[in-house]
Amino acid sequence: MSNVPEGPAESRLEQVSRILIDDSSRVPVLIWFTSSVIWLLLGSLAAMISSIKLHHPDFLGGIEWLTFGRIRPVHLDIVFFGWSSMAAVGALLWLQARLCHVRLPWPLLLSGLAMVWNVGVVVGSVAVLAGHGSSIEYLEFPAYCAPFFAVPALGVLAANVKMYLGKNSQHTYVSQWYLLAATVWLPILYVTAMLCTYFGLVQGVSQAITNWWFGHNALGLWVTPIAVATAYYLIPKVTGRPVHSYHLSLLGFWSLAIFYNWAGTHHLTGGPLPAWTITVGVVGSMMMFIPVITVAINHHMTMRGVFHMLKTSPTLRFTVFGSFMYTVASFQGSLEALRSHQEITHFTQYTIGHAHLGLYGFFSMIMFGAMYYIFPRITNNEWSSARLIKVHFWGSSIGVLAYGIGLCWAGWWQGLMMNDPSIPFLQTVEYVKPYLILRSVSGAGMTIAHIAFAISVWRILSRHHFVMSGPTLFTTERPAWREFVNEQNKREEMAQ
Amino acid sequence: MFLISMIIWATALLGAVMTVWALTWAIKRGEFRNLRQGAASIFDAGEPIGRQTDFFPTSGKGVRP
Amino acid sequence: MNRTFLVILGAFLTIAFSLSGLVLIPNWQFQEHKPVVNPRDGSQYPAPYYGLALQGRDVYVDQGCAYCHTQQVRPKGYGGDIRRNWGNRRTVARDYMYEYPILLGTMRTGPDLANIGARQPARDWHYLHLYNPQITSAGSVMPRYQYLFRTVKAGELVPAGAIPLPAAFQAEGTHIVPTARGEQLVEYLRAQNRTFPLPEAKQ
Repeated sequence: MSNVPEGPAESRLEQVSRILIDDSSRVPVLIWFTSSVIWLLLGSLAAMISSIKLHHPDFLGGIEWLTFGRIRPVHLDIVFFGWSSMAAVGALLWLQARLCHVRLPWPLLLSGLAMVWNVGVVVGSVAVLAGHGSSIEYLEFPAYCAPFFAVPALGVLAANVKMYLGKNSQHTYVSQWYLLAATVWLPILYVTAMLCTYFGLVQGVSQAITNWWFGHNALGLWVTPIAVATAYYLIPKVTGRPVHSYHLSLLGFWSLAIFYNWAGTHHLTGGPLPAWTITVGVVGSMMMFIPVITVAINHHMTMRGVFHMLKTSPTLRFTVFGSFMYTVASFQGSLEALRSHQEITHFTQYTIGHAHLGLYGFFSMIMFGAMYYIFPRITNNEWSSARLIKVHFWGSSIGVLAYGIGLCWAGWWQGLMMNDPSIPFLQTVEYVKPYLILRSVSGAGMTIAHIAFAISVWRILSRHHFVMSGPTLFTTERPAWREFVNEQNKREEMAQ
Repeated sequence: MFLISMIIWATALLGAVMTVWALTWAIKRGEFRNLRQGAASIFDAGEPIGRQTDFFPTSGKGVRP
Repeated sequence: MNRTFLVILGAFLTIAFSLSGLVLIPNWQFQEHKPVVNPRDGSQYPAPYYGLALQGRDVYVDQGCAYCHTQQVRPKGYGGDIRRNWGNRRTVARDYMYEYPILLGTMRTGPDLANIGARQPARDWHYLHLYNPQITSAGSVMPRYQYLFRTVKAGELVPAGAIPLPAAFQAEGTHIVPTARGEQLVEYLRAQNRTFPLPEAKQ
């Protein structure tokens, strides 16, 4: 015990317990995270194929399995179910255990659920490639895939509630609200949408409303709260500065909960729906300014004066970029919901650009940041190369900005041209083509970034480059603590 | 049509009333007290306020245990 | 009991509330929709798909046509849909009462198809367009659906159902015939006709 750093007993306990909690989440979180990284690569592959096909339609032409109308939904579903949701669950489990000061319950069960989820994504993707998709965006996977997602979602909810009920921390941190609510929302959303869609519970245009009630909420009430929760933890934690205003963060949470789920119908503006359903969607979208502004103020004020840390911390770089993109994409999204705006941009590449600024620029970047923070702490290893991390950051950030700005610009003009009947339709197709090529180029940049990231992850997992006392793990002189923890564990085992 | 719009408005009103009720209830129960400590609750003696906890890895081999 | 209850209850209420507001109430409202009878021939509109067109809907879904084509006409004065001649009126909820699944679409990489059956009634146009979009729409980025056709070596004789390919697109001594799925898809597309006047769709 001689090599354990000195300190008051209480603080020593706090640190040890943090390590024990991180350890307890190791296996499940690693499985959820590693799976998500594999899906990220496959999702990028599907993205590249679809993107190239859109400007060179004969690329891989003649292969029915890879026709645009199948590979594009496969890209979306892999990225949503495989990458985003699995990364989100990993971050959620780790974060909730830490914030509740409890060990992660049921590690075996949660690992098994990750595998069930993986099977669901594999089965669903193959089904869509084979032509069994439903052409209902975000719900393409056939009905028989639903249990593969519904059961793990309920399991994650149960684990989350169990941690929360048994928490040892005196205070509730704002992230915990978001995490808990997100795990309540996902199963309700998914099961309800699947029942309505596949069992004929709703007819006619109500199917389309259900579709966008799910599609929009799956982003806003499942992945968004988890990314916001992660940013609310990581930005203060990495910079060592408490959140600027805790009041604001609570206001932000409840306004998100109340308004976001009404916004989905803005995807149907001008469609064959009663006008009031669209109006509700527009109002909901406008009210989203409240939660977005609160998060923006909070994160910016927390970072004020410490922006130089972006140079030295990979986690912070990704997370702050993501948090900034949350503001940008949300402002854009709220404006986009307005009827006058939708008249131009609906049905164009603008929507695609916006979706990527949100799901990639905001959500994925925050998840990358979270993984850069969490992987070393649960593998007890250091990232192998700062260069790979930088390739990842610049590839992703420049890629998504070029992608988003390029497509939004193209979509705006495409929409104006489409609304002018004197311009032949094919001219709008011709106009967009160069931007579609730009999309493939920026997509390639992001794919390279993902490969760099995957190499980093492979190295940290395989202990290709093993460093136990590197700067990521520096603060608590982990090796010494680890010995202490191991001894504690042995003692506990002996006592049992 | 009239019945439908009445139902819509009634549900909207009910929702608003319930939201206000939930908020008052939460405030009465002290959900919004002790907020400052909440913000500080993620720090501890090992990783105190004021210390950066994440850096780029440096080059140089570590020790294999 | 602690805040867990508050958060879970709040989360549940918000979502249940929007579900009933956005999905269940409109769905209930739409149930009063009835088809209109055409006084000239006694047929009804809208009518469910049947026969080849019904099978063709599965082909439309499985090929993911909906990712590039919408099936909705926006009202007059909102966008250029009607002025582009994509429809003679806006589409309304009743137009879709038999659509299952509904394929409104969200993207117009290609033009709207809500009335493609009225705009392009000829089968051959659809066959040529699906076989190679460049024949009918040069510069299009639509893929070629050649797997919905088969090649027949027929020498001098023209097999039944051969599509009238322009010479530049036809290999010597071969003819192109649509497969069953090709025929189904084309019948589905030809059934896309939402021009019948509905009282609630004045524009």
